[in-house]
Amino acid sequence: MTAQTRGPAEAADRGTATDASRADRPARPTPRHGRDHALAYLFLVPSTIVFALFVVWPLGDSVYLSLHGSDLFGGASVFVGLDNYRDMFTSAEFGKVLLNTLEFVLLTVIPGVLGALVVVLLLEAQIRGTRVLRTAFALPFAFSVATASVIFSVIYNYQIGLANGILGFLGIGKVGWTTDPHVAMFALALTTVWMNLGYNVLVLSAGVGSIPAEVMEAARLDGASGLKLVRRIILPLLSPQLFFLVVVTTIQSLQSFGQIHILTKGGPDGSTTTLVYSIYKKAFAFGSSDFGTASAQAMVLLVIVLACTGIQFGVLQRKVHY
Amino acid sequence: MRSGKFRRRLAARALVGAAALALTATMAACGGSDSGGNSTDAPGADALKNVKSPVTVEFWHSMKGANVAALKQIVNKFNAAHKGKIVVKPVFVGEYDDAIAKYKTAVQQKNTPELIQVYDIGSRFMIDSKQTVPMYKFIDKDKWDSSAIEPNIASYYQFDGKQWSMPFNSSMPLLYINKDLFKKAGLDPNKPPENLDEIEAYAKKLTNKKKNIVGFNAAIYGWYLEQLMATNGDQYCNDSNGRKGLATKVNFDGPDGVKLAQWWTSMVKKGYASNTGRTTDAAQQAFKSGTVAMELESTGELRDFINSAKGKFSVAAAPFPRLTGSGAPDGGTIIGGASLWIDGIGHTDAQKRASWEFVKFASSPAIQALWHTGTGYFPVNSKALDEPTDKAWVKQYPQFSVAVQQLHSTKPSTATSGCALGVMPQARQAAEEGLEKTITSGDPSTAAANMKASADSLAKPITDYNKAVKK
Repeated sequence: MTAQTRGPAEAADRGTATDASRADRPARPTPRHGRDHALAYLFLVPSTIVFALFVVWPLGDSVYLSLHGSDLFGGASVFVGLDNYRDMFTSAEFGKVLLNTLEFVLLTVIPGVLGALVVVLLLEAQIRGTRVLRTAFALPFAFSVATASVIFSVIYNYQIGLANGILGFLGIGKVGWTTDPHVAMFALALTTVWMNLGYNVLVLSAGVGSIPAEVMEAARLDGASGLKLVRRIILPLLSPQLFFLVVVTTIQSLQSFGQIHILTKGGPDGSTTTLVYSIYKKAFAFGSSDFGTASAQAMVLLVIVLACTGIQFGVLQRKVHY
Repeated sequence: MRSGKFRRRLAARALVGAAALALTATMAACGGSDSGGNSTDAPGADALKNVKSPVTVEFWHSMKGANVAALKQIVNKFNAAHKGKIVVKPVFVGEYDDAIAKYKTAVQQKNTPELIQVYDIGSRFMIDSKQTVPMYKFIDKDKWDSSAIEPNIASYYQFDGKQWSMPFNSSMPLLYINKDLFKKAGLDPNKPPENLDEIEAYAKKLTNKKKNIVGFNAAIYGWYLEQLMATNGDQYCNDSNGRKGLATKVNFDGPDGVKLAQWWTSMVKKGYASNTGRTTDAAQQAFKSGTVAMELESTGELRDFINSAKGKFSVAAAPFPRLTGSGAPDGGTIIGGASLWIDGIGHTDAQKRASWEFVKFASSPAIQALWHTGTGYFPVNSKALDEPTDKAWVKQYPQFSVAVQQLHSTKPSTATSGCALGVMPQARQAAEEGLEKTITSGDPSTAAANMKASADSLAKPITDYNKAVKK
């Protein structure tokens, strides 16, 4: 990803391309081009089929299901028009679900990216053992969502968990980490931030590593140091990685399921039921098979993810320095 | 150029991610044709006579850990005894809830398994799905003697007096006691509390905040509310607990449910009980740690509790408490667990018959003794308790005799058969939400409103379900 390695590779690419076209031109360019295109389409076929089968078709099916009632087995029954959407948007429950989703995204994306940034900047300090620390911070990346969630569920156990054990040692009262409606979302977000930290640290430290040494040296010679160096040099040069992380972790947060399922099951009192978990509850959980409502909610999720991505590309990207 | 490529790649990733979400609520409804009979009648023994190659019985179950080991043992014994004729293939399909969700998809795809284990509260749905051959048809056809099946267990799966499925694994809730904590508090573990008020009085003495010891704990699990209502002789849903017709209303917002919510909330508020949430795992961990004096749990946990407590403290089992006083005369505990259902639609007579052969085998005294001692579930065949292996086991775990007494002292009644409601899993979940909301609010006076809101939230699912069934 560094400037040095990128240069020669691109030059090599260009070189072969020019050589090939130069060799072609005297002969018959058009048929060859046609054959190239045909070949290109041929290579695209497998991914198109997969895309159509696993994305386009289910998407169409979701739209279809969202316009129908559900029979005993979750299949589409009668056509109900937009009734599922109307019921959804007029229910207080769904409003709460949307708010929970927003809360979860904000509580995971911002601390997740900022936290990783702080860790990476601190790691830049030339102290001994940086490599070990970097590996240590990247370690959560190696945990699966299920494993990490089960570990956290034990840490958060009200009666015997480590978290309340520490609070007890400090003489502070117990906290219902996953059982208090006012706390559960924070506990869930904390777990998610911890799980995301490893990946975020990896991406950002690669980004910092790719900042050319001469740029940093020049800045230092010009008298930049500390926060100024961070603000004027490192952050702008790190903006592609930061942007990437914000987009990716936002989408990841919107899709989070495992930690919610294992730690809180959307409770207590619905306080951690995000959109994805609500879809699951309607469609599959507890013997429910209300695929009509679940599909309508899935469409809302689709629109939200698309909108988020659109906004991030439209607004944030202008601030990104490549 | 690089930024463009990078952007496109990101955009593609975002799009794929977004679109994949739409998958979450989509079921693949591939077409399929009937492979065999469309009937739910029971074929006779001759259905297996002309079979040339072994008949395969796919058996969907939700057993894990020690339970799945015992299950495989039973299946292997059966397959060995029916070599060349029948092959039973057990398939783990996730928790009970997941199994039902998968079964629903299978019905749509016309691809159901031959045999499926379904939890107690899924029974009404299984009947209404109209996919299965009711067990009584096989019993009648073979004039099979079903009297050895524990009547209290069998009654859960009887509708209009007829046996629809065969109980397989059965459990009941008990009050587990940490004997050491009882003795330290000057209480006699042989005189356990009998109802909620007594539990509170005991818990007050047992709780020691400095030592992080609470008198009582239980998962906020709807099952316990169902049980407590039954001990009071009350019905969880109308229409004789849904046994006479399709129930249209749940009753947990009545005095029983409100009483439990108020009691539990004040227990937690006073610090006599800890709230470990709705997952049973968290509650089990708490009891095993030795910091909980009394805990509500299933008989199925008995072995695990005793083994985990080894060297730390000793465990006693007491009868499940009554809601008030000494309970109603026709009240008692409901037998939970799961039963076996034979699918009829889309299966050949040979397959149905082969499934029945396995069901008979699985309910025989010897196999039930093996099952009981290997898992801790009740033997559904009362004769199993006379088997030598079973007698040795009960001797090793004397606490289990409490469960047997509880089972035999319960009179089968409308209340103790439990509520048969099509949306029973959702009802249990709604009840839990009402209880949890009250407990976490710390205000017992909100109990009535919360339980009512929970009960009201079921109106639409119940109406929709009943409409779908009648159509």
